[in-house]
Order: sequence, then C-alpha cells, then structure tokens
Amino acid sequence: MGSISLNGINKSFGTTEVLKDINLDIKDGEFLILIGPSGCGKSTLMNLIAGLEDLTGGEIVIDGKDVSEESPKDRDIAMVFQSYALYPTMNVARNICFGLEMNKMPKNEQEVILKKVASLLQIDHLLDRKPGQLSGGQRQRVAMGRALARSPKVFLFDEPLSNLDAKLRVEMRTEIKKLHQRIGTTIVYVTHDQIEAMTLADRIAVLKDGELQQVGTPYEIYNDPVSHFVADFMGSPGMNFIECIVKDENLIIESGGQKYELSIPCKDAIQNSKLDVVLLGIRPEMLTEIEPSVEKNSFIHQIKFDVDVLEPMGADTVAIGKWNDNEVMARLSPEAGNTAGKGFDLQVDTSKAILFDPNSGLRIR
Amino acid sequence: MNKFNLTNINFGRAIIYFILFLFAFIYLAPLYVMFTTSLKDIEEIRSGNLMALPLDPTLYAWKKAWATACTGSECKGLAPYFWNSVRIVFPAVIISTILGAFNGYALAKWKFKGSEFLFGALLFGCFIPFQVILLPMAKLLGSLGLANTVTGLVLVHVIYGIAFTTLFFRNYYVGIPTELVKAAKLDGASFLKIFRHIFIPLSTPIFVVTIIWQFTQIWNDFLFGVVYSGSGTQPITVALNNLVNTSVGGKEYNVDMAAAIIAALPTLVVYVIAGKYFVRGLTAGAVKG
Repeated sequence: MGSISLNGINKSFGTTEVLKDINLDIKDGEFLILIGPSGCGKSTLMNLIAGLEDLTGGEIVIDGKDVSEESPKDRDIAMVFQSYALYPTMNVARNICFGLEMNKMPKNEQEVILKKVASLLQIDHLLDRKPGQLSGGQRQRVAMGRALARSPKVFLFDEPLSNLDAKLRVEMRTEIKKLHQRIGTTIVYVTHDQIEAMTLADRIAVLKDGELQQVGTPYEIYNDPVSHFVADFMGSPGMNFIECIVKDENLIIESGGQKYELSIPCKDAIQNSKLDVVLLGIRPEMLTEIEPSVEKNSFIHQIKFDVDVLEPMGADTVAIGKWNDNEVMARLSPEAGNTAGKGFDLQVDTSKAILFDPNSGLRIR
Repeated sequence: MNKFNLTNINFGRAIIYFILFLFAFIYLAPLYVMFTTSLKDIEEIRSGNLMALPLDPTLYAWKKAWATACTGSECKGLAPYFWNSVRIVFPAVIISTILGAFNGYALAKWKFKGSEFLFGALLFGCFIPFQVILLPMAKLLGSLGLANTVTGLVLVHVIYGIAFTTLFFRNYYVGIPTELVKAAKLDGASFLKIFRHIFIPLSTPIFVVTIIWQFTQIWNDFLFGVVYSGSGTQPITVALNNLVNTSVGGKEYNVDMAAAIIAALPTLVVYVIAGKYFVRGLTAGAVKG
C-alpha cells in the first residue's frame, strides 16, 4: 500500500548540499516523524517525497514503484501545510473537493466523499464558509479534510500544528493520532517540536545538517540516543551534560572545591574508550529530591545542589541550578520544589546514565 | 488640562484643513476654469472674468468640438478620433493586461533558470524612453505592413505595456503564498488550472490597477499616436492638438476647452469608477488566506 523507500537521497541547491545520502524505509501504515532543528533539511526531504522539488541523486520508491521522476499528482500523495494553504477564494466544500474535481471525479461521488470527510472531522457546519472566516483550528481541520478526501497512499504533514495556540495544538495532536489509528494510512510528519515527535510517532527520524542521525521508536530515541546531538535535542527539559574525569571504572566530578565519585552502568565502555574525560548524560528526572523509598544501590548518589531558578510545572517542578560548577536541571516533586534552595540535597540515579565522547559527540557504549 | 489639549488639537486640525482646502482649490481651479469657459460663448470670454460663472450657459462649444470643429483640413470634430482612441485602447489594454498576468504568474510562481534575469530584462522595458524606440518601431511596423493603422498602434502599446503589466502582476503574485501552488499541484491541477482556479479569482485588485494604468497611459499617449498614425487613424490626443492649433478666424477658447475635457473624460470616468480599487490594489500586497 503506502510504503516508502528513500534510497541514497541527495539534494543540493547550487553548491549547498541540503541532504546527504538519506536512506530510510517507511513501512505501510507507519507514523514516521522527521525532526530536527531549523535548516536541517526536513522540509526539503518532505518536498522531495511529494515531488515538489527535484532530486539531485538517489531514488524514491512508493508502494514498490520508483516515483523519482513522476510529477506530484501522479504520486498519490496528500500534504497538509504549516500555513494550511487553503484556497482563499473557494469555500470549504470546494477546497476539500478541488483535488477530486481536478481528477475529474463525477459530482455525485464528490458529494459522498465530502459528506464522509466532513463528518469525520466535524466540519459539516463550515462547508459554505471561506477560509478567511475560519479560526486556526478549523482551518487545520479543513486542510486535513482536503488531504483525506483523496484517500491517498501517503499523507505528508509539514509542521501542521505550529501555527496553533498551545492548548489547541495539544488537542489537534491527539486528534491526528486518533485519525491515524482510524484510517491507518502511512504518515510522514515534519516537526521541530520534540514533544509532538515523542507523542505521535511510531518511529522518529532525527535529522541534522542534512544527515540522518538516528531512526528509532520514541523510546529508543529518548533512552538510547546515538549521539550528544540526539540526546540534547530530544526531551524537555533537556538532558544534563557534565564533563567527568575517568577514574578506573568510575567517574569523578570535581570543581568548585567539591568532589563526587559516581558509579555508572557502562563500565566496560569507559575502559574500552580509553578516554580520560567523558561527557556524562543524565536526564533531569534522574535528579530528584532524596527519596527514602528508593532502595540504596551503587547507582544512587547524594549530592549538594544550589538552586538558581525554579519552574513549577504543576505536576512537578524543574529546578535549574549548579552541581559544583555545572548547570543542571533536576525534576523535583512540587512539595520538594517549595523548599529547594542553596545546598539542597539531591539524589542522582546513574543507572540510566549514558556517556559521550566529548570530542566527537558520539555515544560511548 | 484636558480642555486645553482639545483646543490645541482643534487649532492644529483647522490649519491642516485650511492647507488641504487650499491645495484642493489650487488643483481644481484649472478644471473649473476649463468647464465654465466651455459653457460660455466667445463674447463673454473676451469681456468677462475668467473665474466668473457663465451668464448664459450654452452647449455650442461642446457640440462644435465633438462634431464640426476643424482638425487640420478636416472639419468633423473630435468624434471620429474619439472612436479611434477607443479602438486602440480596448484591445491594447486587454491584450497587454492578459499577457502581463500570465508573465507575472509564471515569473512569480514557476521560477526557472534565468527567470530572475528575464524579469530584470523585462523591467528594463519600463525605463526605456519613448523616443529611443521610435525609429526601430517605425521600421518594424513598416515591414509588418502595419504603418499608419490602428492595429499597428495597438501592437506598439501592447509591446510597450507588457513591461509594466508584468511588473504589476509579478509583484502582486509574489505576495501570494507559494504553498497554494504546491497544494494545488498535489491536488493534480496543471499550470493553467492553477492560474484559472486559484490566481485569477485572487487578482481583482491588481487587474483593476493594471487596467486603469494601461488605460490612462494609452489613452493619454501622444507621441506614439502622432508618429505611427495616418490621417484617418489618429487618436484623440493628436486630434486635440490639431484642433487647438487650427484657427479659422479668432481662437475659440470655449471649443478648445470643451475638446480638452472630452479628450480627458474617459480617464476621469475610469478613476471615479475604479479609483478606490486602484489605491487598495497598490497598497494591499499579501492575501490573507
């Protein structure tokens, strides 16, 4: 049905290489998220899949057929744009049916599809309006309706939620996920919002400077990143990185007159790397107030932490402060957050800590 | 305190209005003089005050200017030349506007290698003075067999107008989001269908601007008209010039004035009807979708 294979994709604009040798297989029915910072080439990759830009090298195979040379309309793809790109002079009904009209579908069949799509997205009452008379969320629905109407092999979403306000964004996010579960069509979704990526994706592909960094399930990307970049990019609040000195199988953090020796799980990796200094990566949720209930083991450490800023999020409180001289973020319970200050006792759990080579940024494992 | 400010504002306002009215008066005074003079008879013009209202308004001058005044050796008034101008203006405006719309659409939304250069080269056409192209154009019209014809003048105005119309449409279409084109491409629409279904419906303001611009330019053109027209194909501007310069007996200022107003009337009418679109079209670039 809607499987996509990207084989050795290259794209240059003039002498600037935007995408370098991208290889990616997207399974039929999969929800794949392309994520990366601005300018990483994710939107270009999407335009290439859609056929809106020409490949410099490589091939795109959709549903077993090489479509690299085919025009957008022959690829059976529908796209939802960040700006929605609704046709401003047409009403909602015509916007949704425009693709069908262009494909010369008889009017009565168009009506049937329009009804189905409109009720699916709950926009029945808006069909006579012009895009200018709709709210952001409604436009978003219409844009999805237009994509759905053609029942294509693949949906492309190009940052579809970034023009919505925060609350609506969360609502629409859930709705897109529900929609995907209902229709089961392959979705390729571009975003720079890592929460969107984590919540929606079956698999996430992380791009940086036109190169694929890592492809994996949200769990893999979050817990087992291949590089400093991926670890840093995914997660909010972001991962803490602390430079440590290697001492036998343990790590030492020493600065500001204090010294901690940390025991970590990947002991072999340190020894094999033969590095003197490594970058310790540790998620904020592993830095908490002292929890007496947690059984003491060699990975649980107790440190002094100087809180600079507290950011209560309701369910928990993010504390930003100094561990020795390193700025780190800790995730405290709201109650602990109320009392946190200078010299706060923090519990560090290194059982899930990961290590990076400070020079190359690559994972040590 | 409040009251003091209020009077201050009123005083400032008064000065602004005074200046506005003064300039409006200066600007409109010639029109007033032309109009009143055209309604006076020649005796009253000689003896009376320039600014005075006509004592005994008469349409004599208007009738003469339209139907019987002499323009050179012919004495048929401005009427035949008025229709010449109409026959030149309508095709020239329509053709140059349509071509400009197409060019602008292609240059703004279907960029190809060298499209920016092409646009720059086209823009250059806006800055070429009329005089420069007089001779080559005469040669071209001659070899096409269109010298001294209405068709020839239409061709000249279309060619000269394309640079401007393309500029207008291109700049307007650049403001329309390219994502609309992408979306329509994915929906299976072709180059022409996208133009017809998406761009044309968005183009009313820029069509009005272009049509007004072209209409005024071509209607008011004198140089091309005088150079490329023959005795029977002169546009109204040339005829007006001939009418004013032909004097049988004394100068008939009232007829001259009436003729000048007749010659200017169509452009005035166009502005009155579509002027608000003109301003709106020039200022509104982006389309909110």
